[in-house]
Amino acid sequence: MVLDRRLLPSLGRGLLLTGLVIYLLLPIGAVLLYAFSTRWTNHILPDGYTASHWLQALADPRLVAVMLRTLGLALLVTLLDILLIVPAIYWQWIHNPRIRPHLELTAAIPFVLPYVVIAFGILSLSGQFLPAALGTVWLLALGHGAIAFPFFYWAVDNAMAAADVALLNEVAKTCGASPWRILAQVILPNISAGIATGSMLVFAVSFNEFALVQILVGARYETVSLYSLDLLTGTNADFNKLAVITVFTFGIVFSLSALSVYLNRGQGQTRRLMIGSRSKV
Amino acid sequence: MGQALSPEGTLSRQGGRSPSLRQALTRWLVNWLPALPMLVLAYGLLAAPVLALLLQSFQGDDGHFTLVNWVEVLTSRGDRRAILTSLLLGSVSATTALLVGAPIAWWISQLLPRGRSLWLSLLNTATNFSGIGLAFGFVAILGNYGMITLAFQDLGVPFMPPAPNTFWGLVLAYNYTNIPLFILLTIAGMGMLRQDWWEAAQTCGATQARFWRSIGLPILAPFLGAGWLLVFTWSIGLYGIPFALAGNGATRKVSLITLVIGDSLQASISGQGEAAVLAMVLLMIAVISLLTYRWMLGRTARWF
Repeated sequence: MVLDRRLLPSLGRGLLLTGLVIYLLLPIGAVLLYAFSTRWTNHILPDGYTASHWLQALADPRLVAVMLRTLGLALLVTLLDILLIVPAIYWQWIHNPRIRPHLELTAAIPFVLPYVVIAFGILSLSGQFLPAALGTVWLLALGHGAIAFPFFYWAVDNAMAAADVALLNEVAKTCGASPWRILAQVILPNISAGIATGSMLVFAVSFNEFALVQILVGARYETVSLYSLDLLTGTNADFNKLAVITVFTFGIVFSLSALSVYLNRGQGQTRRLMIGSRSKV
Repeated sequence: MGQALSPEGTLSRQGGRSPSLRQALTRWLVNWLPALPMLVLAYGLLAAPVLALLLQSFQGDDGHFTLVNWVEVLTSRGDRRAILTSLLLGSVSATTALLVGAPIAWWISQLLPRGRSLWLSLLNTATNFSGIGLAFGFVAILGNYGMITLAFQDLGVPFMPPAPNTFWGLVLAYNYTNIPLFILLTIAGMGMLRQDWWEAAQTCGATQARFWRSIGLPILAPFLGAGWLLVFTWSIGLYGIPFALAGNGATRKVSLITLVIGDSLQASISGQGEAAVLAMVLLMIAVISLLTYRWMLGRTARWF
């Protein structure tokens, strides 16, 4: 009887955990199969396998252009966030703590407010005050920079707190270093892991983002998300090509996230239940 | 202060005032300049657009103040259904994520470091599969020629899994990221439940069920509730996944706030007043959840 009581919960646990693993692996597995399948309309597994979709994808000028555009945008957004946010956080730590409430308040906005609302707001606001910016990739880059800013902010802010930037700054100043020299030679080397983590999160957000791209620029700047949607629901849907793109995108986002977990060994795996440490999907 | 002194006088007066003004300006610049570009971006592209939508929701086509948009949204059957479906979809997603995620989070938190990090890696991997790609993943298993659909047909089972463009199909697709996120968010809170409390409860003769009812759940409740709220809020705000799965126009079976907003932006300039009202509805949901969330996490402090 004792055995029964202990067996039953562990059976339930086993079923639940197995179910979760299957649930998490099935969609990825099906996409992988699609990327290598010939025809797949009759049985649980494809009728045959081929690598031709990958070769065709590499030779497709539209796909290559889409990849380059998405990559270029993500790099631009990452650079923008590094250049704008690092000085702001640095200054907040060493000189003006009153900057912090402003950063925290605005960082909460993309965390709780749907991207579709932010995109709509940017569209409406720029329509009123800056019609020339409408539909440009620059406005999109600024928008991505804004919605990805919390991830970068939290990563770098944590790094600055951990490195005790204020103390480092005092010490370097006592030794007579100029502010720029302190930033370049003392602060940046100490927070580089935080900057790397933040940059990867920003890059991943921009690379995979859909709402702002669709609402702010649409077909004028076709990214991976828009092209994927076209291949999924458009008139000339192509699941095999879509599978290749999806596997590729997932690979990029996954390697970035694995790298950022590796850089923050020991603390990067779970997420604190506080505004300040998750990646929004 | 006669005329005779005036050239020098004005000069010196100006000299007396403008340095202090200049000093104040310099001091302000020194305090704020390095953060200024970031603050302009954050307020200009995050805060100001929300304000613009708030104003727009109270503006008629002629630009004057009006409540027409609000009245139209709240009396339109389509909009009301979209709001209700969004709320329902958010609650169902969050509740299933809680029911599945909470026990799993507890088990993982009890594992040895190696097993723990293996599970955490799997969950983190899953959260990277998102957006349109994830939507395709669910079409690939649940669609007309999806893997699971084909498997059931192959076996001759007369049961059909929910199609990806239905309410339950969306719940399945949403929870693909929701369950891992719920676990990753609450697992730290699970550590608050200390082993010696269970031992103390056993000494007092408590069963495992009694322990959970009287000690475990009351302590974990704020964490679980906060996780529920976050999943609820994120689910309601999702746009890309339902856009890719739910279909367009007449073929769409599930109407959501975000989809209605997207539709009216694609359609035309007019009618954006109502979309602005729906955006404000999303804003209100987000603000209420955020306040409740902070209140709940504040309660966890009681135990320590």
